[in-house]
Amino acid sequence: MSSLPPDTKEDFESPSLCERAGDMPLVPTAVWVGSYLAALVLQKYLVLPDALKIAVALIPLIPFVFFVRSFIAHLRKLDELHRRVHFEALAFAFPLAILLLMKLGLLERTDVLSPEDWSYRHVWFYLPFFYLVGLTISWRRYR
Amino acid sequence: MTNRLRVLRAERRWSQAELAERLGVSRQTVNAVETERYEPSLSLAFKMARLFDQGIEEIFSDQGPS
Repeated sequence: MSSLPPDTKEDFESPSLCERAGDMPLVPTAVWVGSYLAALVLQKYLVLPDALKIAVALIPLIPFVFFVRSFIAHLRKLDELHRRVHFEALAFAFPLAILLLMKLGLLERTDVLSPEDWSYRHVWFYLPFFYLVGLTISWRRYR
Repeated sequence: MTNRLRVLRAERRWSQAELAERLGVSRQTVNAVETERYEPSLSLAFKMARLFDQGIEEIFSDQGPS
């Protein structure tokens, strides 16, 4: 029987945030979020004709397509454990997103929630947040 | 399922990072397999078997620790 392995310090460490992020498509993400914020600012502070308002609302669409493409490419490069972690994060986030939207739809009918605070445009960013929570939970399971 | 990955790695005095590189996976994957939190796919199990020149059933067992 051999001696026990030459474990290094890193063998016992959980993956750091940087390791988890890996080669995440940070630039396409930043461009997409930036385009969303730009559209938000333009809509809020400029008085625009209707056609231009629609054009501004569509600004983030193209950066989002690039973001999705680069995110899928990133997922394809991951090894099997990392893919499973993302899959479990999705399995956590997707039902939660359905639950949130369903509950908001029902509560909207009761006039409990103000549409000014709880419309879809205010709650969409909960969805990536759920995904990040799912990623964290899944990583804790395998670390 | 139990496995002897850690012992086999010890015999070759490889770190998890070295083994991961040889297998083409991340260090976290090697760690999760060694600690039996994650059961590898069949293709990764075959890679391990080839790397250590052993049969899959010599590395992995569903009998639990003896």
